[in-house]
Amino acid sequence: MYNLNICHLYPDVLNLYGDRGNIIALSKRAEWRGIAVKIDNVTLGDSFTPENFDIVFLGGGQDYEQEIIQDDLITNKGSSIKDAIENWKVFLCICGGYQILGKYYRTGDGKDIEFLGALDLWTIGGYKRMIGNIVIECDFLKNRHSDGMVVGFENHSGRTYLGPGVKPMGSVVKGYGNNGEDSCEGAVYKNVYCSYMHGSLLPKNPSLADHLIELALKRKYKDFESLKPLDDSLEELARKSAISRFIRKY
Amino acid sequence: MKLKLFFTILISKLIIKACRLFKTGGTTLAGKAALKIFPGIIKTVSQNFSTIMVTGTNGKTTTARIIGRLLKENGIDYITNKSGANLLSGIAAAFMDAVGLSGGCKAKTALLEVDEAAFRIAAEHIEPDVLVVTNFFRDQLDRYGELYSTLKGVLAGIRKTDKTRLVLNADDSLCVSLSKDSGKETVFYGIGSGAFSSWDKAINSDAMFCLYCKSKYEYANVVYGHLGGFRCPGCGYSRPFAQVLCTSVKEFSGSHSMIEFHVNAPPEDACGAANGVPVKLFRVRENFVGKYDAKVNLPGFYNIYNSLAAAACGIMMELPPESIAKALGNFECGFGRMEAISAKGKTLKVALVKNPTGFNQVIELLTAESKTAQIAFAINDKLADGTDVSWLWDVDFERLLAIQDRVGCFYASGVRAEDMAVRLKYAGVIPDKIAVVKDYRKLIETGLSSTDEGGVFYILPTYTALLDIRRILRKQFSLKDFWK
Repeated sequence: MYNLNICHLYPDVLNLYGDRGNIIALSKRAEWRGIAVKIDNVTLGDSFTPENFDIVFLGGGQDYEQEIIQDDLITNKGSSIKDAIENWKVFLCICGGYQILGKYYRTGDGKDIEFLGALDLWTIGGYKRMIGNIVIECDFLKNRHSDGMVVGFENHSGRTYLGPGVKPMGSVVKGYGNNGEDSCEGAVYKNVYCSYMHGSLLPKNPSLADHLIELALKRKYKDFESLKPLDDSLEELARKSAISRFIRKY
Repeated sequence: MKLKLFFTILISKLIIKACRLFKTGGTTLAGKAALKIFPGIIKTVSQNFSTIMVTGTNGKTTTARIIGRLLKENGIDYITNKSGANLLSGIAAAFMDAVGLSGGCKAKTALLEVDEAAFRIAAEHIEPDVLVVTNFFRDQLDRYGELYSTLKGVLAGIRKTDKTRLVLNADDSLCVSLSKDSGKETVFYGIGSGAFSSWDKAINSDAMFCLYCKSKYEYANVVYGHLGGFRCPGCGYSRPFAQVLCTSVKEFSGSHSMIEFHVNAPPEDACGAANGVPVKLFRVRENFVGKYDAKVNLPGFYNIYNSLAAAACGIMMELPPESIAKALGNFECGFGRMEAISAKGKTLKVALVKNPTGFNQVIELLTAESKTAQIAFAINDKLADGTDVSWLWDVDFERLLAIQDRVGCFYASGVRAEDMAVRLKYAGVIPDKIAVVKDYRKLIETGLSSTDEGGVFYILPTYTALLDIRRILRKQFSLKDFWK
């Protein structure tokens, strides 16, 4: 019997727009395969011990809440997070959680706010919000069961740019993505997956959810090979009907 | 000027007539036209009115309707924008419909529901005498932006006013700040910590940290969401003294609540919303002070709040508390707000859902259902619903598992039916009990035919789905047109 330990960072502060759907998806999809799941909430003031966890989730918040966790994340948990990332721990980071792993955030008036610097990326604050449904194509998800298309919703004003050390998670088919300019969406570095797609990212894109669970279990168990397939007809219906509403030729 | 006014009103009235003739009910079109021809039209025609505005995230329509009932109890004639047309165009349309061709009107009171994001602009056109703010919750992030920007917008609108007095929810730390930061005279309403025994635990709260010093609030009691007896340990900002306070919820059922409320005169030194800056409390009339019993003819804590908001508005208008209690008991459900429709020995109940907090409150009511029921969710993602359906993941559908045995089927409908179905599956609902039925006619037919005699078929639609479903129901069960 396998165990999967999930860490939800700042669930009481960064709980914007359905981020917890990702936690629900990870745990349900593991449980449905007989994998025992434990979810730990780690928040302000708590110490973060990466060895206890197989997947770490960091969501997004409103600017107000984002400011509240910033200091705690960088000074209290920063070095553990960096070590864990370098040691190939599986992370999923969304929106604000994505930005804060980068090097800095440049505000509208040109001031640089120093971020964690765990990933070679940075964000420039903007006034135009990039809001809407988004469809991206992820090469790493393409196999005989999956076409690699991931659908979600983005809502951000920061424009994120990737340095040579990180790769985008996918290429934008419809929507803005990281910055609305280079057709890149999200970031992948080692086992860290970052995206601007919030809320129901994993439930509606089960192949991505399974990809993360597999990465985590392969790291943890020598004998683990792959996940049993599930009946994903409802999830596939939701994913495909959403994609076909946003792109005509699908 | 007079001619232009006459012309504008005439055109608007013709548009309203035409819309009604074709049964589209689209009054906002008339309002848009009026504002286009005569941008200052609202200011001009509203001069002789005293105005009550109701804004906030949840409960605007119900609160406005209870206030309407209260005005009626007191023989006060009023005009209103009834159909949830709560943007500037809807307000303009309400006046165009009510006034004569010369701009005159028998009614001298305007009761207006105003979208919280539209309030700032609305306040430039028409200054309310009384502004009721129900609450602030996260709502349609894609449209309203962050919660704090909505709050700032309402505050900016209030600051521009001159004579406006406020009616605010004392249990909502965001609401209370409007009084503290504007210095306006206020009647606060709230639910006392001893009013009910089993309180909610604050999970997924929308406002956990002090607006002023960012410390984490402490709560004496939580009613739901972030509403309750908040207190900041950092700066002392806390729930203020409430002139209208629910002291006991004596009965709480799926159809109504029995409450006791106190009308209190603030003590001389009362300055609850502390942090050094006292709020300006409205002086309640001496002879109103006392204890009152009332039946709230709508279920749920959120409707107790709506009732208290209306009561507090009445107290500010110096309407007798007895008439308030009467209005609360006589009030009938509005359009799609747990509206009950009888259909061949079965009941159809329609309740609008638009954000996590409101949705959770409706689910709370469903879990109280003891008989077998059918439940349908109709989720759209049009502009008025919010184009982002991620919020469904913040709703506690997991609570429905407690009544899963008694639910025949969970129907997922609307444009985003599939997203809803996935949400139910991940909540733990047995996939065999989830059905995707996108066509509303088929949904109503299937849902009703599966409902037992004497049973209830609940339909929970988002805003635009409500309009479509209500239109079908209106024809099938000859209901009132929604603009009436």
